[in-house]
Amino acid sequence: MIEFERVSRRFGDLDALRHLNLTIDQGEMAFITGHSGAGKSTLLRLLLLLDRPSSGEIRVKGELTRAIRSHRVPRYRRRFGVVFQDHRLLFDRSVHDNVALPLVIAGFSPRDSARRVRAALDKVGLLAQEYANPATLSGGEQQRVGIARAVVARPEFLIADEPTGNLDPQLSSEIMALFEAFNQVGVTVLVATHDLSLISQLRHRIITLSSGRLAGAETP
Amino acid sequence: MNSPTGQPGERWNRAAVWRAQHRIAAHDSWRKLLQRPVATGLVWLMVAISLAVPSALLLTLENLRPIVPDVAGSAQLSVMLDREVNRTSAEAVQRQIESWARVDTVRLVGREQALLEFGEQTGLATLLASLDRNPLPHTLRVLPALPVSDSALNRLIGELESLPNVNRVVADTRWVARLGETLVAGERWVLALGGAMILGAILALANTLHLAIDARREEILVVRVIGGSPAFVRRPFLYTGLYFGAGGGVLAAFMLWALSVWLTGPVNALFLLYDSPGQLQSPGFKYPSALILSGAIIGWLASWAAAERYFRQLETR
Ligand SMILES: Nc1ncnc2c1ncn2[C@@H]1O[C@H](COP(=O)(O)OP(=O)(O)OP(=O)(O)O)[C@@H](O)[C@H]1O
Ligand SMILES: [Mg+2]
Repeated sequence: MIEFERVSRRFGDLDALRHLNLTIDQGEMAFITGHSGAGKSTLLRLLLLLDRPSSGEIRVKGELTRAIRSHRVPRYRRRFGVVFQDHRLLFDRSVHDNVALPLVIAGFSPRDSARRVRAALDKVGLLAQEYANPATLSGGEQQRVGIARAVVARPEFLIADEPTGNLDPQLSSEIMALFEAFNQVGVTVLVATHDLSLISQLRHRIITLSSGRLAGAETP
Repeated sequence: MNSPTGQPGERWNRAAVWRAQHRIAAHDSWRKLLQRPVATGLVWLMVAISLAVPSALLLTLENLRPIVPDVAGSAQLSVMLDREVNRTSAEAVQRQIESWARVDTVRLVGREQALLEFGEQTGLATLLASLDRNPLPHTLRVLPALPVSDSALNRLIGELESLPNVNRVVADTRWVARLGETLVAGERWVLALGGAMILGAILALANTLHLAIDARREEILVVRVIGGSPAFVRRPFLYTGLYFGAGGGVLAAFMLWALSVWLTGPVNALFLLYDSPGQLQSPGFKYPSALILSGAIIGWLASWAAAERYFRQLETR
């Protein structure tokens, strides 16, 4: 469970988020939408402790994130799988090594790691490209490698910021289907997106931000 | 899909994880260095020169030091007898001093000969010949038995001066003291120069490492978001710094060795000239190990500084 309690984030005299109250249940899948500059990325960055709120509290499974000491932050972040809009793959190494990165950080043995990497690549349908350089893959394939990297260490939460921003509708719905598959095995999924036409077809909660405030939350 | 939570049982223990991560970082950093051999070679050369120059000077000073007490030991004392002492009495004094254990040889320089020598040395022979009376006394040239310490030399001078018929004793060891002072000053100069060169090497290394870190900015940002600790992010760069520094140290050791081989002939000839039993000291084992160790420390410090600065900039962005 993720709880935002009257969370504000000010940049100078701009309120990126203002007195935001929000609860994401354990095992839920939810979309965050809103105009550009509404505060979607800011919300996700606060959750990952890449930024701190100006006021208010964020709790994850009851734990106050403000109380997490800085040397504990990396461990906290490992509970999240993160998918970026521009996938952020490293082109100096193979698809396999990209996906294995969270396992190296978390300290899995190489044998165990290789097995998990293959399982994750299989899930996103890219097992055949395991040893390819990610630069040679298409945009949709690169985003799927990014998803494999986000889920390979089996995080509790999956966070995605505009994961389909650069993809055509066909590829976008494939990506969303992948997120749903992970959600079905118990991962809490939070996706920030502009793509209203796509998410309105899916039966998940849509949280709409407007100038840093909650504009409405539809429950299916 | 299996359960979403990680299964701790499948993970290694902390020590094994730590070792594995170090092995990977060490290996990757080494591979990245070899991918750019020219740039890496230039960095090694820079570190090597900054280390080799001060240590070559230090080695030179260390070689000079043993000559100093030797020269002091061979310091000859001139014992001037009273002017009224005749040649027979002078020879008696000579025999007496010769019987002392702490004295090696005693040579009598008669006043006629002394005048001759003085005249030759100063070019005042004609002037001296015009004197109606030889102003010089008989002189004994006393060589103390080796080795002789400063205090023992002073004691000997005192004993010689208290002998009857002895006017005064001249120990011309001032230039030895001057050489000693020069060596101390040289040592300080080498230390200052060495410190400056090493500081320069650290700054240049830190700059090179800053570029190496910046080249992997993308990776650092990703690793940070997916839960890599600062130590994990820093580790490959610490290895890069370590390789730069230690590699430079190895190269510096080779330079020093080559220099000492090249200098052995002339320097040993110089030692012979001074009648010194010394020989040019080779860098031996002490210098190479100190060079490699200090190179490694310099590289490690530089990469630590570069990484800290880079990450601080990243956080406050
Ligand atoms: N580091 C920052 N410094 C100053 N202002 C910032 C910073 N980060 C975000 N903002 C501002 O906060 C507001 C919210 O930004 P945010 O990135 O959360 O919007 P968003 O909903 O993700 O927009 P988009 O759909 O364009 O990605 C914007 O007006 C943005 O300019
Ligand atoms: Mg955004």
